[in-house]
Amino acid sequence: MPRRLFSALLGLVFLLAASEKARAGENVWSGLVVATNVAKPEPPPAEMHRFEGTLKRTFGYNQFALIGQSRKALQNGEENWLAASKHFSLHVDARGALRDGYRLNLQLFQDRHVLLETDATLTKSSPLVIKGPQVGAGQLLLLLIVQ
Amino acid sequence: MFMKTFEEKWTAWLDDELSESERAEFEAALEDRAAAEAEKNRARKLGALLKEQLQPRAMGNEDFFHHQLRERIERETAPPAARPTPALRETWWSIRRLLWLGATSLAVFAVCTFFVVREQPAPNQSEYLTQILNSRVDPGEGPDATVSIFQTKDDRVTVLWVDGLKSLPSEYATK
Repeated sequence: MPRRLFSALLGLVFLLAASEKARAGENVWSGLVVATNVAKPEPPPAEMHRFEGTLKRTFGYNQFALIGQSRKALQNGEENWLAASKHFSLHVDARGALRDGYRLNLQLFQDRHVLLETDATLTKSSPLVIKGPQVGAGQLLLLLIVQ
Repeated sequence: MFMKTFEEKWTAWLDDELSESERAEFEAALEDRAAAEAEKNRARKLGALLKEQLQPRAMGNEDFFHHQLRERIERETAPPAARPTPALRETWWSIRRLLWLGATSLAVFAVCTFFVVREQPAPNQSEYLTQILNSRVDPGEGPDATVSIFQTKDDRVTVLWVDGLKSLPSEYATK
């Protein structure tokens, strides 16, 4: 009986430790996407499958092509990273972990110029999409997802 | 046989311990037979008086004293190893019970903590939604740019909608 009790306690401790580890090991996927309307649209990146319909309805495009991306594993919520294409880059500066996500500072660069800067709280259950400038016949979109 | 002295014969005569022949011979040798008989009578009376007065007093609770005496003798004659050792004072707080108590307390604490944490009121839904705290558009790139924020209902996508940025040629869409 005491062995069972100690085993149960140890299990509880490992469970708590594992959940904390999982929380610390979350990834943030950042993508630069050009949305266009084409006759035969290609499937979007796997990260966008969950809300592809929402993007189509919201922005009115049927194809979402990935031109740059980054996946960052966060350890303490203080990291920073860059998702870049040839002319655009999204600099993400994480400024601390929240209950269900992270506080971020985002800067969208066009070559070396800052087009847009924003502070946001990004949560696991709520992706962030930023509508950027018009590019040709399409639209630049910035996506951030906690995985 | 050794010859007895007069004092020995006198003491034996007083105690009537001489044989007939010795007694007759001793009494014949006495110079004052009457004085000797008087002395013998006084000695007998004194002996009787002493016997009467020096009798040991009878004990009223003889059995009790015998019992006490026997116990004391047994105690003192028993070998040291055979003596009963005083029992160690036993306490309820044994190591085993303390361990049990500690483990049980930890388990109760863990269970209570689990239920308390689980039953905390659900935080405001906005805490689980991505929020835009502020945003700035470079005036040089979009002097008339406007920003709006909304969230889609079905899958909680937060959208930062920026209008008024300069349009760019299609070559900017390259990887």
